[in-house]
Amino acid sequence: MIEIRGLSKSFVGQDGGRVQALSDVDLDVAENEFLTVLGPSGCGKTTLLKAVAGLVPVDSGEIVVDGTKVRGPGPDRAMVFQNFALLPWATVLDNVAFGLELRGVGRAERQERARALIAMVGLAGFETKRPAELSGGMQQRVGIARALAVQPRVLLMDEPFGAVDEQTRRLLQEELLSIWEESRLTVVFITHSMEEAVLLGDRVVLMSARPGQIAEIVPVPLERPRARSLERSGKYAEITAYLWDRLRDMHEEHRAAR
Amino acid sequence: MTRRGHLPYQLLTFVIFAVSWEVYARVRGGLLIPTFTETVGASVKLLGSAELWQALYASNQALVLGFALAVGVGVPLGIVLGRFRTLERFADVYLNILLVTPMAAIIPLLGMSVGYGLAARVILVAIFAIVMVVVNSRAGVRQVDPSLIEMARSFGANERRIWTRVLLPGALPAIMTGIRLGIGRAVTGMVLVELLMVSTALGGLMLEYRGLLKAPQLYATIVIILAEALLLISVARWGERKLTGRSVR
Amino acid sequence: MRARVPAAAVSLATGAVAWELIGRLAGVSFFPPLSTVAVRLAEMAAAGEILQSVADSLVNLLIGFTISLVAGLLVGVAMGRYRKVEAALGVYVYALLTAPALVFAPIFFSLLGDGRGSIIAVVVMYATFVIIINTASAIQSVPAHLVEMARSYGASERQVLLRVLLPAATPMIMAGVRLGVGRAVTGMINGEMFIAVVGFGHIVTEAGGRFDSASVLAVLLVIIAVALGAVWLVQAVDRRLTGWVPQTSRGSQ
Repeated sequence: MIEIRGLSKSFVGQDGGRVQALSDVDLDVAENEFLTVLGPSGCGKTTLLKAVAGLVPVDSGEIVVDGTKVRGPGPDRAMVFQNFALLPWATVLDNVAFGLELRGVGRAERQERARALIAMVGLAGFETKRPAELSGGMQQRVGIARALAVQPRVLLMDEPFGAVDEQTRRLLQEELLSIWEESRLTVVFITHSMEEAVLLGDRVVLMSARPGQIAEIVPVPLERPRARSLERSGKYAEITAYLWDRLRDMHEEHRAAR
Repeated sequence: MTRRGHLPYQLLTFVIFAVSWEVYARVRGGLLIPTFTETVGASVKLLGSAELWQALYASNQALVLGFALAVGVGVPLGIVLGRFRTLERFADVYLNILLVTPMAAIIPLLGMSVGYGLAARVILVAIFAIVMVVVNSRAGVRQVDPSLIEMARSFGANERRIWTRVLLPGALPAIMTGIRLGIGRAVTGMVLVELLMVSTALGGLMLEYRGLLKAPQLYATIVIILAEALLLISVARWGERKLTGRSVR
Repeated sequence: MRARVPAAAVSLATGAVAWELIGRLAGVSFFPPLSTVAVRLAEMAAAGEILQSVADSLVNLLIGFTISLVAGLLVGVAMGRYRKVEAALGVYVYALLTAPALVFAPIFFSLLGDGRGSIIAVVVMYATFVIIINTASAIQSVPAHLVEMARSYGASERQVLLRVLLPAATPMIMAGVRLGVGRAVTGMINGEMFIAVVGFGHIVTEAGGRFDSASVLAVLLVIIAVALGAVWLVQAVDRRLTGWVPQTSRGSQ
């Protein structure tokens, strides 16, 4: 579904020097796969996701989604943002319909589709509220509904539950799992939580920082559909413990290198 | 404000402006519209003339006295208004009126009461500058975190200590901002005095040049007033940054 | 806010009484009591003098402010969106914002003559730059993630501008417009006093020449009313446009 070949990207850093955000990244994501990406901050995981979304130009390498080379944002991909990125002046309904509106879908049709998705994420009755009147968890439900409304084939999620409290985060994880079970989208999900990466992902891509590279791809052989009870299984504990060992090594290497 | 790489664009803008002025004045200009080069020449020449410096001195006398008056009255007044809320609630409506009312309209009254001399000019400059000084001093005192005052009280500080150790230092940056903005307003007041009052200083000079159809000199005087205004405002901004160690826009 | 309305009323009433008393007790020609001024105002209104200058002045204000608004928004958006435009114009706009605008009046006088055109040019000079600066920084401070979000859904540059940047920037732009209206009123009066042919500035200057202080004060009262009215009008428009801004972050503007 997604093929990434030899992807490199560098920025001008705050001190004026160049920072290598991604260096020669190769990655394949299968159709209907739920892929989680885990790594220390500054490992370029968000840059990788934005490159797939077509939001940042890359220096070299290429990204192919469903047989077509990525040259910019496209209707086959939709993104969910860490800080929700909701329009503060628009109602829940208009926010969910925003992606459709930009694509020129007529008013009646986009509102109908938006209403269905609002109901699906459990926000029926909140259509006329504005984002400031909603809790963080509800705001991200709006963000997810907006992404699903454009009927993408790939859902790109950039630490979507990073800005909500722990209890809400757990509810959202479970809801996302059930949405995914039904829709079977291809999902690329960035996170900094090992538990979240293992609970949700078919595979966990472990990235290392400076330069951003893929350190390892860890398969998660846990049965689907997944439930919260998995957290008590030995396999789950084993994988999260392994991921933490690797991440801790990276942090220590990084400290030693400075 | 001068970020890296901006200079070429700024120069480009200036060149376009100067060339358009020159071309327009050469093609359409009459007696009253000098060319860019004539204006530059006249500015240089004027800067060497005693006439200009005498006028500048007279104008700036009103500026300095009026501004000093505004700071001397405005800072204490603002601090008092900031500390005593009831007083402020009653003064608020007048400050708002002062903020939106075009002060030029009181010029005839000033002329009738104190004549069109130095006193009238000083008063007008002071009225222009004082609003900014009062409003910012008031905001400065008001923005001091009340928990700091409680903290000082909890350590047994008396009212005098609270003023000298907490309120005034906390309010100082805003007071300095008010003084800086006050300088800008004082310069505006000075220009207004020169242009709208019967004046013997810079305004008189401009009237004279206009009467004699000496357009380059008229424009040069405007350029020099503008330069003085911008210089004073930049110096005020620089001074504020030095004194409070903060960056200002 | 609710507690302040009576305070303002009490304060104004006290001021009016004080004015009347001081005016009567002082008995100087340049400070007539409020009642004298009110009578004079009624006379001028009855003679149609006030209405004529209100109309004249408002035309100057309206034309000048409309030009300022259009130019301010266009230049401001361009400066906020394109770094090169900001690099080219930034310093000059700041300089013209801080410079005393009336100093340009003699230039307009020589370019446009002693008519309405010069007064309108002064109004434009007063009001435009504060709108430009506020619009530019409003556009620049729109959160980058909103623009990114729109682009991720395939928004064109036009859609980004119209559907995201402008609505998100509206509260700050309106703050600039509010300041712009205040400055436009000032520019109108100052321009009319410099080129005293029409409007308030004309009658104030004329009354001043006759040493008719009651007329000057009467017109001053009308000017204050017009200034407050103009600002109030813009605030009303602002509230309609930016009703979505949470109440808590409103007061800080």
